[in-house]
Amino acid sequence: MNATSITQSVQTLKSNILQHVHHRALLQNVGQPTLQEEQLFFIQLPFLNGALMNDEHQISAVTVGIVHASLTEHEKVKEVEATSKEQQLLVLSGDYYSGRYYQLLAQSGNISLIQKLSEGIVNRCEHQIRVYEAQKRSFEQWIESLMVIESELIAQYYDVYGFASYTELMKRTLTYIRLKKELDLLKKGQPCFLYKAFAADSIMMDSIIEALQDHLYDMERQLREDLTNIDLKDELKHSIEQYITF
Amino acid sequence: MEKMKIKMLYADIKSDIEVIENELEQALNSSSHLLNDASVHLLQAGGKRIRPVFTLLSAKFGDYNIDRMKNIAVPLELIHMGSLVHDDVIDNSDMRRGRETVKAQWNNRVAMYTGNFIFARALQYVTSIENPRAHQILAKTMVELVNGEVIQIEDKFRLDQSLKDYFRRIKRKTALLIESSCELGAVVSGADEKTARHLKRYGYFVGMSFQIVDDILDFTATDKQLGKPAGSDLMNGNVTLPILLMKDDPQLAPYLTKVAVAGLTEEERQNMLALVRNSEAIKEATHISNLYLKKALKEVEALPKHPMKKKLRDIALFMGKRKS
Repeated sequence: MNATSITQSVQTLKSNILQHVHHRALLQNVGQPTLQEEQLFFIQLPFLNGALMNDEHQISAVTVGIVHASLTEHEKVKEVEATSKEQQLLVLSGDYYSGRYYQLLAQSGNISLIQKLSEGIVNRCEHQIRVYEAQKRSFEQWIESLMVIESELIAQYYDVYGFASYTELMKRTLTYIRLKKELDLLKKGQPCFLYKAFAADSIMMDSIIEALQDHLYDMERQLREDLTNIDLKDELKHSIEQYITF
Repeated sequence: MEKMKIKMLYADIKSDIEVIENELEQALNSSSHLLNDASVHLLQAGGKRIRPVFTLLSAKFGDYNIDRMKNIAVPLELIHMGSLVHDDVIDNSDMRRGRETVKAQWNNRVAMYTGNFIFARALQYVTSIENPRAHQILAKTMVELVNGEVIQIEDKFRLDQSLKDYFRRIKRKTALLIESSCELGAVVSGADEKTARHLKRYGYFVGMSFQIVDDILDFTATDKQLGKPAGSDLMNGNVTLPILLMKDDPQLAPYLTKVAVAGLTEEERQNMLALVRNSEAIKEATHISNLYLKKALKEVEALPKHPMKKKLRDIALFMGKRKS
């Protein structure tokens, strides 16, 4: 295995997902769904590391990607004035993808994954909506929410197939990547999850940025340590290292 | 008055409907205060709960057990509720059933999360049913429901659409979920194939009639009865049966042109409503709805002898004659 075959595997999963959610009108108006490469990488990780993939795994991997795509579409809906045709179809594209994931798993009779993924969606929604709640939360609690948002679905999927040994690494890496994106947006003064989370508390953004930078340094150190201890092929470790280069 | 009629119609399964109401409340319970508030808001807005009712009544033709049937009746209502929350974002609606919508009380994003939460809860519930056919029916319904909505957006303000286009759209948008409610009631309770087929077709015909009546009421009912401004469908660009039946009326033409470009003033809305209400289109649309009702009643006749046949007949007739 080399970097090319890892990329190829991720691209194959991406193509499969796109093929299963193909919808002429949605494609024309809102384009292809957003699929994050790092999410796809972690969906594939146990198989890239040697686990045998059967038909059920293949369909399951596709559905986890579809659920991510569905929820990401809804993140593109504006808070107010979502009245354009594109915005209206964004609502429906998320709903369509959500129906498709259920349909694929129903066809293959994989009820346990439907159960786990819907549990994951409930949990994720509960954390996503927190930025609109009046309750004050600590920096750590907000980081925890982002961890759930980024990793919950893949964690549930790992759980179904006995891949829990990868869960911590996946959670930390995906959270790290998300936090890095949040930091970039905060520095540019652009809206993001953490900006919303702290805006109501009138905490100075500079202190949030500083705390986030410190947190990222700690996470990076921890992740590098994790990578030395985990039973993972070198090429895969290298791929993860590329994601966490600060 | 309408509420009293509904109570009478549901009398035979009153205690089971209460089970469903309690389960809905539990299903919407969340660790998030905001999701709880939004859910309470939705539950208090009520609704006719026609989908669970059709499921339970259909299940009476099989091996009826409320503890099993609630696992399909509750998700069907949740899917309906979730889709309404998202529809209000799509239609930019501030009011539904006389109450502020989730998107109006909070914002679109909160409505998206609330809808997704409700859909996911529906699936969590339904997974206690092991019958793969039930899941396949429900999943197909969910996908087709969205397809109906996509077509509705594509057809917005499109006056050159045919009646066939309209019927195809309302089939997906409304009739399918009622059809599936009946079919799933039969399938999950283990009713025989022939009975399940008749119940499915009954649900389809009732659903078609139900949506046509809904589209008529959008013009004929008052703002108060509707809990939103009458004529909202047209103002949102949804060309429904009454308009399709009178689109060539020269008196209506100026309103149709203006509604697509700049919207109607209050005075224009009132004039447009008066024009539609006094037209033959309402009678014609009612006639078409009645034809679907007749077909539904024919399906009831074909069902095996059962005390619930009368109930199915009464509910279909009520749905076809309702005033709000």
